[in-house]
This record gives sequence, structure tokens and C-alpha cells, in this order.
Amino acid sequence: MNRVVAIAINTFREAIREKLLAVILVFACGLIAASFGVGKLSLHEELRVIRDLGLGGISLFSKVLAVVAGVNLVYKEIERKTLYAFIPKPIHRWQFIVGKYLGLVVTLTAQMALMSGVLALTLLAQDAAPDGALVRALVLLWAEALVVTAVAVFFSTFSTPLLSGIFTAGIIGIGRSTPELHALITSQLKDVPGLQTTLDWATQLVPDLHLFYVSGSMVGGKWVTVNAGDFISWSYVAGASGYGALYAACVLALAMAIFARRDFV
Amino acid sequence: MTEPAPAIRVDDLKKTFAFGFLRRKVQAVRGVSFEVRPGEIFGFVGPNGAGKTTTIKMLMGLIFPSGGSCELLGRRVPDVHAKRRVGFLPETPYFYEHLSGREFLHLCGRLFDLPADERRARADRLLEEVGLAGAASRPLRKYSKGMLQRLGLAQALINDPELVVLDEPMSGLDPIGRKEIRDLIGGLRARGKTVFFSTHILADVELLCDRCAIIVGGAIRDVGPLEKLLSPKLLHTEVVIERDGHAEERRLPPGDDVQAFLREALAAGGRVVSVTPVREHLEDLFVREVEADKARQ
Ligand SMILES: Nc1ncnc2c1ncn2[C@@H]1O[C@H](COP(=O)(O)OP(=O)(O)OP(=O)(O)O)[C@@H](O)[C@H]1O
Ligand SMILES: [Mg+2]
Repeated sequence: MNRVVAIAINTFREAIREKLLAVILVFACGLIAASFGVGKLSLHEELRVIRDLGLGGISLFSKVLAVVAGVNLVYKEIERKTLYAFIPKPIHRWQFIVGKYLGLVVTLTAQMALMSGVLALTLLAQDAAPDGALVRALVLLWAEALVVTAVAVFFSTFSTPLLSGIFTAGIIGIGRSTPELHALITSQLKDVPGLQTTLDWATQLVPDLHLFYVSGSMVGGKWVTVNAGDFISWSYVAGASGYGALYAACVLALAMAIFARRDFV
Repeated sequence: MTEPAPAIRVDDLKKTFAFGFLRRKVQAVRGVSFEVRPGEIFGFVGPNGAGKTTTIKMLMGLIFPSGGSCELLGRRVPDVHAKRRVGFLPETPYFYEHLSGREFLHLCGRLFDLPADERRARADRLLEEVGLAGAASRPLRKYSKGMLQRLGLAQALINDPELVVLDEPMSGLDPIGRKEIRDLIGGLRARGKTVFFSTHILADVELLCDRCAIIVGGAIRDVGPLEKLLSPKLLHTEVVIERDGHAEERRLPPGDDVQAFLREALAAGGRVVSVTPVREHLEDLFVREVEADKARQ
């Protein structure tokens, strides 16, 4: 366990010293703060604008950060041969993946906390305080980012950063539109039952990221929005996070299996 | 009393790489076998592309053999318990560029579960020993090639290993650095450690090794103590004679009467500058093996 923690700490330390990630983060914080100005342009809708833009910005940039850090995570180690010094140390290969992933989780948590802090300050500048609904929305986004990170790390164990980035972006795209895909499959292909079940199964393999961004859509037959009274409950957040954790664990297990069999040439 | 397990045992080890779109096959290592005994300094010598690094990577669990087996300290690779007692210097020691030398050594110490004060003491001592004490808090991306090589050596020794495996420890070092590393390896021997290192610099082998293996084209040509590998016979006698202000070098084959040749030269008014009996060097053996390998193909 100590060794996994050592690798995680090192991953965190490397990530916060990485210029590219820092630049993206500063840019994201700037945009979130700029929602204050955009809010002023709207008539009496300042709070709604700040909350929507803030959440949208955090959703987008947390994924950008997760993908950029995730797709490089293992690939860079092999490419730069930094791995050569570690594999011969008394660790198992899977521990390396666990440590790296945990390091990214800590990094991403810190980055999202910072962005959330900027959003909270922007709201305070508008004489409003972050409420429970906003916190629940943020926790969901955090859970989603951890799933995306796991997917990016998975691709990074066997493919180049560019391809991994494209694959991960594709998975995010499909994962975010699962209800639409589902509707499409049922409406268009109802006459070909074999194909429909196959496609249904295929969509099950992709993470249902729609679960994590629910403001402005139907949940359980009810319209929810983060700006109104009855947003999703904490038990919904717990359920979705549980699903995310399970999905991430499965993807990481696959990543470890691939990593354990690789030649590091 | 039973004989102690060999520090390294390699048995009929093979590795075939497939590369490129067509999966073309390259046999990098073709059935290599040898043993390294505890406490010896063992040289793994061969020309570029002979398969030294490939063999070492299999020993270290970085790549998987296509055939055969290898053991470290009596345990089949990969084995976490054996890894605790082994230190390794990779051929290309590139480390995390954002870490400082000291931070990197601490990280390595953590991977060996060393307590904090032990880590600090060893890191400081090793930085001193490899001559990096002044650069300890500089980030690694600002290190020169030779400095990275020195840090690589320091991290290989952080766990006070019984067995040290070094892939070309002298590469990238200046002559002083090479001497320092030679002394360091000598110091390891004095403390009863086993050292296995690869090189194509023959002088290092002659100065350091108890035994060596010669690998050419992915196969072992010879294993043994240097004296045994080098044929002890006289190759020729080199005589330098000065006559009328200019020196002339002659090589007398083993059968020739050197005394008679010298008497003649003196009688003709020459001056004897030097007489050197030349025996086989590792380099000659090396050339002989490489040429034999070419002839076989
Ligand atoms: N990943 C790889 N894919 C294909 N061929 C490889 C690969 N790695 C090594 N080889 C081939 O295997 C052979 C042995 O390479 P290796 O790196 O083990 O040599 P070496 O003895 O360490 O040489 P050097 O003294 O230059 O370091 C070479 O012919 C090399 O081209
Ligand atoms: Mg090599």
C-alpha cells in the first residue's frame, strides 16, 4: 500500500508541475469567473447564467483535464522509459496502474475544487451562495470525471495519446447521448430484433454518462434543473456515483490486465 | 552445506521481436545460458545490437521471454521478493523531468519501503558518492547525460542491494567519471555484492571483471574467467629500432629468434627503442568472435 501511495504522490506532484495542465486550469477558471460579466448582460437572470455557465465550464474542463492527463499517463512512462526504473522495483505491475490512477484522482479533485471555488466566489460576488443543488451537481461531475479518467488510462495502456484522446472523446460523446441512442435504436430498428438487442448490448458497454449531467432533462419522468427547487436527491447522487465507481473499476481492471502482459521495449 | 543459489541463472533464454506493419521477426536473443555466482563481478560483453539489453530487460521483467527461463537470487523472474534485493541501472536512465535528484531518490526509497530517516541518510550518502551533492535539488530535466547516468547508479543502490545489474554503466561518462564508477563497483565487490554489467568497452572488463560472457548475434560465444578466454600464447613480438634518425617497427612471429634479430640490428648501427611481447587482449578475442559470427552467416 505504501508503494501505491508513493506512486500516487509522485503522479500528483508531476501533474501539478506540468505547464500544459496549469494553463488549461487557469483558462478554465478565467472563463468561469467571466460568467459574472455574461450574467450582467442578461436581464434578471444573472444567477441562472452564472450557475449554468459555471457548471458547463467545469463539466467541459474537468473532462479536458482528465483526458489530457489520462491519455499521457502510461504512454509517456513507456515512451520516456521512466518505467524502466520502476518495474524492477518491488512492486507488481497492477500496483503501478492503481497508483497512477489514484494520483490522477487526487490531481483532478484538486483542480475541480479550485474551479468550484471560483464558481462559488463568482456567485458570492452576485450576492448569492452556492446551495445544496449546486453541490450535488458538482459531485456528479466529479464522479463523471473519474470515469472518464479511467477510460483514458485504459486506452493509454495500449495506444498513443492522440488515438487514446480520440477514442475517449468518442466514448464521452456516445456516453452523454445514451437516451437519444436508445430512442433511435428502438424507433428505427424495431423490425430487426436481432440487431436491436446487439446494439442495446453495445450501448451498455459505453458508460452512461448522461446520468451525471441531469440539469435540464427528465429524470424518472420528472423535469429537473439545478436552478429550481427540486433537483435530484443525494440518494440519486450516491446511486450514480456507485455506478461510476463500478464502471471505472472494471475499466481499470482491464487496463491492469493489458499492462501486466505488455513488453516494455 | 549446500551451494548457495547463483545470483543470476539464465537458461536457454530466447526473445523474438515482431515489428512493423508486416510483423517482421527479429531474433534478438537465441538461447542464451549462463550463471553469475554470488560475490563476483561479471561482465556481459558484446558489440552493438548483440542482445545485451534485451537479455537484461528479460532479467528485470520488463519484457517477457519467447522461450527459456531466468532466475534472480534463486527465484524465477518476476518475483517481488527477489526484486527487493536487486538494484538496476537501465541503459537509458531518463527519469521524471519535474522531480529533483533528491526527490527521485526518495521516491525510489519509498518503493522499497525504507523509513524516512533511512531514506534521507542513504539519499544524501549516495548523492555524495556519485558526485551529485551540488545538483541534488535541481530538476532532472536540467541534468546532463552524465549526471542522469550518475543518478541512475545512485537509485540502483538505494536499497543496498545484494545484486546490482547495470546496463552500460560507463556510457555518457567522462574519463574521471568512468574511473569513479570503476572504483564504486570495486567498492561493491569489497562489500561482498554481486555485480553484473554489460558493456562494449573492453578496458572496463579487463580492469574489473572476475568472469565474463561474450555475446555476439544473440548467442553466447564464451563464458569464463578472462585468463581462460584469452589464449595465453604469444601473438608476436613488437620491436622498434631507430636507424639514421627514424624509427622502424617490426613484428616478429612467435617462432622467430628475437635475440638474433636484435644482434643483427645493433651490428647494422641501429638503436633498440623497445621490445614488447604481445599476447592476446580481450579486443582480439572480441574481433575473432565477431568475425567468426560473420563467417557463419
Ligand atoms: N523493440 C524491438 N523491436 C525489434 N527489434 C529489436 C527491438 N529491440 C531490440 N531489437 C533488436 O534486437 C537486437 C539486440 O538489441 P539489444 O538492444 O539487445 O542490443 P545491445 O547488445 O544492447 O546493443 P548496444 O550495445 O547497442 O546497446 C538488435 O538487432 C535490435 O535491432
Ligand atoms: Mg544495449
